Amino acid sequence: MTLLLDIVTTAAILFIVSAGLLAIFGVLEIVNFAHGAWLTVGAYCAVVTGGLGLSPWLALPLAFVAGAVLGGVTERLIVRPLYSRPQDAILATWGLGIIIGQLITLGFGRDVQFTENLLSGTIHILGTDYSLYRLFALAAAVAIGLGFALLLEGTRLGLSARAVIMNQSLARALGLDTTRIRFVTFMIGTGLTALAGVLLTPLTSVDPTMGVAWLIGSFMLVMVAGSSFGALAVACLVFGGAQVLVSTFISPILGGITVAVLSALVLRISSKGFARV
Amino acid sequence: MSDALAISPSRSNAVRRRAAILGVLALVALALVIFGPMFLSRFSINVLTRSMIYAILAITVDLLWGFTGILTFGQAAFFGVGAYATAMLLTHIGSSPTLISLALVLAILVPVVLGTIVGWLSFYYGSTPIYATVISLVFPIVVTQLIYSGGTLTGSSSGMVGYSGLPFGLEGFFRLSGISLVVVTLGALIFVRSDSGRILTAIRDNETRCAYLGLNTQRIKIMLTAVLAGVAGLAGFLYANASGVVAPENTSFVFGTELVVWTALGGRGTILGPVLGAVGIDYLSASLSGELPFLWQLVVGTLFVVMIIFLPNGLAALVSRLTRRGRGEVVAGAGPELVSEAPRHHVKMVDGPLLSIDKLEKSYGSQKVLADITLDVAPGELVSLVGPNGAGKTTMMRCLTDGKESSGGVIRIAGKNIAGMVPNQIVALGVGRKFQVASVFESLTVAECLRMARASLEAPSFVAASDTLSLPPAAIEILQLTGLDQLLSTEVSLLSHGQKQSLELAMVVALEPRMILLDEPTAGLTKAERTTIGTILKKLTNELGFAAILVEHDLDFVRDISSRIVVLHQGRLVLDGSVDEVVNSDIVKTIYSGGDHV
Repeated sequence: MTLLLDIVTTAAILFIVSAGLLAIFGVLEIVNFAHGAWLTVGAYCAVVTGGLGLSPWLALPLAFVAGAVLGGVTERLIVRPLYSRPQDAILATWGLGIIIGQLITLGFGRDVQFTENLLSGTIHILGTDYSLYRLFALAAAVAIGLGFALLLEGTRLGLSARAVIMNQSLARALGLDTTRIRFVTFMIGTGLTALAGVLLTPLTSVDPTMGVAWLIGSFMLVMVAGSSFGALAVACLVFGGAQVLVSTFISPILGGITVAVLSALVLRISSKGFARV
Repeated sequence: MSDALAISPSRSNAVRRRAAILGVLALVALALVIFGPMFLSRFSINVLTRSMIYAILAITVDLLWGFTGILTFGQAAFFGVGAYATAMLLTHIGSSPTLISLALVLAILVPVVLGTIVGWLSFYYGSTPIYATVISLVFPIVVTQLIYSGGTLTGSSSGMVGYSGLPFGLEGFFRLSGISLVVVTLGALIFVRSDSGRILTAIRDNETRCAYLGLNTQRIKIMLTAVLAGVAGLAGFLYANASGVVAPENTSFVFGTELVVWTALGGRGTILGPVLGAVGIDYLSASLSGELPFLWQLVVGTLFVVMIIFLPNGLAALVSRLTRRGRGEVVAGAGPELVSEAPRHHVKMVDGPLLSIDKLEKSYGSQKVLADITLDVAPGELVSLVGPNGAGKTTMMRCLTDGKESSGGVIRIAGKNIAGMVPNQIVALGVGRKFQVASVFESLTVAECLRMARASLEAPSFVAASDTLSLPPAAIEILQLTGLDQLLSTEVSLLSHGQKQSLELAMVVALEPRMILLDEPTAGLTKAERTTIGTILKKLTNELGFAAILVEHDLDFVRDISSRIVVLHQGRLVLDGSVDEVVNSDIVKTIYSGGDHV
C-alpha cells in the first residue's frame, strides 16, 4: 500500500515540478533551462518568510509573484531576442540559471537552509500511516492540473494559447497578439515553478544548487509530454512509478536516473513521446 | 603536388601563406608550452596544465556544436570515462609501463565504443537536433550515477586518488598537456579547412540537402561523435595522470555545460576561440576564486548570457570581423580551377524503364492524397507533371525520393524497389532532386557547394583543401551559362535567388544522376533565366540521356521543353500523353479553368 502511495505522490511531485516548464515549452517552444533556478528562487522565498517569522503558507503567493515578475523581466530581456534561435535560448537560460544561483549564494551563502514545514505528521490512510505532506502534494498536483485545464479550456488567454500551440504563424495572422501571449505564458510558467519550489522545501534540502537536480528530470518529462498536460500526467505516473520501483527494489541511485533513461528510450522509439495521449 | 600547373598563382600563394602562418603559430605555441614552466609560478603551472587539457575538450565541443550544429553536454562524460578507465586500471591492477600504455588505449577505446552507442542513439533518420541534446544530457547523468554506485571499484563519491601514473613531474605534465593541445588544435584546424571538414558545416547549414547529395549524414555524425569521444577520452587520460585524482564531477553534465560556456565565449566555429576561452576562463577562475569566488562566476554567467544574445559567435567573431576579408563579399574570378571530368557512369545500367511506378498511393489517415498512380519513365524523357495546387505533385516527388513516404504501391528505380529506403540510398540509385525553394549551403562558397555534390562519389581529403574542382561537363556548362563559374569563391548567401536555383541545379547535375526531379525550377526567375534553365534541361535529356521529371505551373514553359506531360488532379493521374495531346485535351482546359470535376 505504501508503495502505491509512494508511486502516486512521487508522480504528483514530478508533475508539480515540471508543469511550469511544460507551459513555457508548449506555447513558446523554448526550453527554459533556468527552470531549476526558479525552483530555487521559490524555495528561498520560503526561507525568507521563515526568517521574517511569517506563516510558511505565505511563501506560496510570495513565490508565485516573485517568480512571475522575474519571469516577465527574463522573457523581455533574454527569451524574446532568441525565439528564432531555440538552441541559443537553452544556453542563455542556462546562463541565467548560473547568474541566479550565484546571486542567491551571495545573498544567503552556500549552506543548506532550513524551512518550517508546511504540514507535518502522518495520517492513517489505506491501512497504513502515511506522510500528510506527500498527500497534500498529490492534492496540489491535481489542483494545478485542473487549474491549467480550466485556464486552457475556459479563458480567452487559454484559447489564444492553444491557437499559438497549434499554429503560431496562423495565430499571428489572425491578429492574435502572440508576443503578449508568450509573455504572459512565460510569467505564469515561471510563477508556477517558483511556487513548486516552495512545495519542494519539506521534501528536499534547500541550497543554491538544489534546482539543478530537478531540472533534468522535468526537462525529460516535458520532452516526452510535448505540449499536453494530460501526457505530462501520464508520463509522471509511468516514469515516477518506475522510479519508485527501481529505487525500492534495485538501488536508489539507479532510481535517480530512471526517469531520464526511460524518457530517452521512449523518445528514441517515438519522437512524439506521449504527446498523442 | 602533381596538379600544381593548374593552380592559379594567387591562390597557391594564399594557400602557402596560410600554411606558413599556421606553421609559425604552431611553433610559437610549442615554444611557449616547452619553455613556459621556466617563467611560471608553481600555481600557474598547475592550473594551466588542467586548463590546457580542458581546452582539448573545448575543441571537441566546437567541432560538434560550432561546426556541425550538434549542441552537446556529453563531452564531459567521455572525458570522465577516459579518466576513470585510467585511474581504475592503475589502482586495481597496478602500474607499469605496459599497464600505462594499456590505460592509454582503454581511455581512448572505451569512449569511442560509448560514443558509437551514443551516436547511434542520437542520430537516426528523422531524429531531431533537440533529441541529440537530450541524449547528451542523459549520458553524463547515467555515467555519474554509475560511478556513485560503483563502491570501491570506482571510489564512489570520493573519487579515486593515490594511483601512480606517468612518472612526470609538474613541469613534465605541463609540457605533455601543452604539446597535446597544440597537436589537437593543429589537427582540428587542418581538418576543418579540408574538403572533408566542410561537410560538417554543410550538415549544420542544410542536412536535408546533404542527404539528397547522397551523403549518409547520420553515419557521418555518429563517426564524428565516436572519434571526438576518443579525443575526450585521451584528455581524460592526461587529466588522470596529471592531477592524480579523478572525481565524479569530472563526468557530470554541469562540467559539460561549462565546456559549452567556454566554447561560446571564445567563439564557436573557430577552434582557436574555444581554446583561448577554455584556457583563459579556467585560469582566471582558479586565480580569482580565492578572492571573489561567487562574484567571478556571476561575471562569467552574465558575460555568457549577453554574448549568446548579442554576439552569438563569441569574441573570436569580433576579431575576425576586423581582420578577415574575402568571405562576406562577392569575389569574381577567384577560386579553384574547374576541371572537366569524363562522366563516371557509377550507376549500374539496367534494361527497362528507369522509373516504374505501380499503383502508388499516399494517404494521411483517411485522406487520400495520391491514389492509383501508375507511370513509367525511360531514359531521355522529359516528363512534366502538371495540375492545379493540391493535386499531389510535390507529394509524388517526395514519394519518389523517400522510401518511407508512400502508403501503398511499388516504386522501382532502375529496377530496384525503393520501399523503406532513405534519401541518400535512393540518390545512390541515380536520382537527383532539386527542391522548390533553392536548397543550398548558405555559409559555404559556390565551389564548396559543388564539391559537396561530389563527396559521395570521391572521398574528400581529410587534410587538404583541393585547388581543383572536377565536375562533369554538363555541370560546368550550367556554371558557364549562368556566370557562376566566375563566382566560385563567393559565399552562397550573397547570391541572388536565380543564381541559387542555378547553383542547386548544377549541384544536382554534378551528382551524375540518371534521373533528375525538379520541383518548379523556374518559380520566381526572370524570363532570361527561365530560358537558360529550359535550354539546359533539354540538353540534359535529349543529348545526354538523363530522364527528368518536372513539376511546373508555367504551361508555356512546359510546352516548350517537355517530351511528355502527365496531368495530376485530386491525387489521380488523369492524363498521360504527348505535349499536343495534353495541351489540346478538354480535361486540361476544364481543370485549369476551374470547371467541374473529372
